[in-house]
Amino acid sequence: MEFAAKFAFDMVAFTSVMVLIVLGLGVIASMMGIFNFAHGELVLLGAYTVYLSSEAGLGTWPGLLAAPVVVGLVGFGLERTVIRRFYRTPIIAMLGTYAIGLIIREIVRGLLGGHYKSIPEPIGGAFSLGGIEFSIWRSFIIATTLVVIGGTYLLLARSSIGLRVRGALENPMLARACGISTSRLYALTFTFGAALAGLAGALIVPLYQLSADIGIRFLVQAFLSVMLGGVGSFEGPVLGAAAVGGLAAWLPWVVTPVLADPLVFLIALAIVRVRPQGFIAVGRL
Amino acid sequence: MTMTRRRVLGGASALTAAGWLGSLTGGFVLRPNWAHAAGPIKMGIATDITGPIAPSGNANWQVAQFVVEEINKAGGIQGQPIELHLEDTASDPKIAVGNVRKLIQERRVNVVLGGITSAMRQAIKDPIVNRGRTLYIYPQLYEGQECTRFLFNTGPTPAQQCDRLIPYLIKTMGKRRFAMPSANYVWPQLLNRYARKVIETNGGEVVFEEYYPLDQAEYSATIGKIRDGRVDCVFSTIIAPGLQPFMKQLYESGFQKGGGVVSCVYYDENLLNYHPAQEMEGLVSCLDYFQAVDDPFSKALQEAYSKRFPGTKYLFTAGSASTGMYRGIKLYEAAVKATGGKLGREDVAAAMDNAVLTEGPGGGAQMVPGKMHARMNMYIAICRNDAGRTRYEVVDKADMVEPREC
Repeated sequence: MEFAAKFAFDMVAFTSVMVLIVLGLGVIASMMGIFNFAHGELVLLGAYTVYLSSEAGLGTWPGLLAAPVVVGLVGFGLERTVIRRFYRTPIIAMLGTYAIGLIIREIVRGLLGGHYKSIPEPIGGAFSLGGIEFSIWRSFIIATTLVVIGGTYLLLARSSIGLRVRGALENPMLARACGISTSRLYALTFTFGAALAGLAGALIVPLYQLSADIGIRFLVQAFLSVMLGGVGSFEGPVLGAAAVGGLAAWLPWVVTPVLADPLVFLIALAIVRVRPQGFIAVGRL
Repeated sequence: MTMTRRRVLGGASALTAAGWLGSLTGGFVLRPNWAHAAGPIKMGIATDITGPIAPSGNANWQVAQFVVEEINKAGGIQGQPIELHLEDTASDPKIAVGNVRKLIQERRVNVVLGGITSAMRQAIKDPIVNRGRTLYIYPQLYEGQECTRFLFNTGPTPAQQCDRLIPYLIKTMGKRRFAMPSANYVWPQLLNRYARKVIETNGGEVVFEEYYPLDQAEYSATIGKIRDGRVDCVFSTIIAPGLQPFMKQLYESGFQKGGGVVSCVYYDENLLNYHPAQEMEGLVSCLDYFQAVDDPFSKALQEAYSKRFPGTKYLFTAGSASTGMYRGIKLYEAAVKATGGKLGREDVAAAMDNAVLTEGPGGGAQMVPGKMHARMNMYIAICRNDAGRTRYEVVDKADMVEPREC
């Protein structure tokens, strides 16, 4: 019983990590119709920000707070200079963002000298509940994920900015005719998605290890989550991420772990085949 | 979608970017500051200066410079100085093969030392030994079974890493039930095959042996099996990037607090700060050298190395193949001395087969004639945690352990 609770907790924690990473990717894909293959590297930049702050002797907290801002600004810069040129050609956008990601990744690899860096949790240790010990940092990630999901949902579904974003998504021509600057909205959306990636990177890096490949590891699974959940809605990618994360954590219990990874893809692809529109149908945001 | 020139160029540049690092690597020569009528002995170093294995590769390159400079300072080998030629193998066997050919065909080196991973060794041994007709020395600890003629191995084998360690875990530390969580590639698979035999002949039991994708991020299923199987010793061959989450989840499950022991045979000083101190505490490793080994020669060697590379982040350790590199160069020196300065492959290989090194990091080494591997001292060390600072304490030493290969 005690271990069942502990492993249920581990699975929820891992699912939260997946959701955090997918959220930014999903928001950008849904709003702008672009699959941002540099998303993994935006996650990496968030993690790298935490590393820089702890190297500078400031500790990990300032880095954690700065990460979404820094990566959001990087995202803004990218959107204004490069990404905006890709809106009409989604396939080239994939290649282009992949190239951007590659450049960021190799630069960071160079800066790290190829080393893996260990970063301590801002709050380490465990707390005890009913005689069972839970990692504080994993709990913090779960809580933050819930807050971020809630906040993002409110922003997109309940605020006037969200209304304009949804309008621009539904019919960009009409939105522009109504005086909404879609180009500014897209820049804002991309910045927001990038900031989410930065936050995700900063939160997960103490669990894993800072290396240039920290983001790419999750990219394909995140991509799959968005496919599975359905592009165009807010809940879709979140549900997709929960499904992929849950499967990835649970499958090694029942099959050999080497098979678990491909099986996650197989199951997800089978679901996409049966339900090509994803869990949530398009355009309900 | 119509294909415009811009679209084509955009796609092409994205693809070129995927391989952009590959074209940047070039060779490097370190010439001795004096000459000899017969010309220098050309020594090729083929190691990973860039890419994921770069930390080990750079340590190897520094150790090679360090040893060769010492040899040249002492008058070279039989009066001939050594000229060092470096080619980057870039942690990528495809790039490596081309660059190693440069060493052989353009630079015409007399011997090549290098390669860290087994994949790299497999890729470059044919261009060096068969097509290149050159002597090859491989310095890293590895899974064994490399019995190619003219390919000498100077790092420890599974027998050297397990024959002393596993009885120590079972008899001295009293652990019986082993779990073998492993990364899914050749080294863990062959090492485990050997370790399992040693565990079973010593009265231990393997509860499970499991392989994971190298970048697995979530291990709760593994931890569950460790706990359900009442495992008391985790013999891990998981490597980065899957390593950190595994060690963290294992520690958080309370395995070590419950008396469990983690053993991992590639842990050296580079990995001391890899995990938080409490996760490292009690980890048992077995290598041919630790910096805590305090024989005077090893100490002096370590000091000289730090003096040559002050504040370097590339340490002189066993896990990064640095000790194997040291041994390889010194054994080659001994072999060329024995041939009286003749550099022909057959002559040097015959002498190398019986080469003996009296002193080195962790002690001397002897090639086992006809076996392509070396006897060496092996040490068992346990990681201690002094209020957040980790260090290894050497708890056991075995003299001149047999490699048991070929």
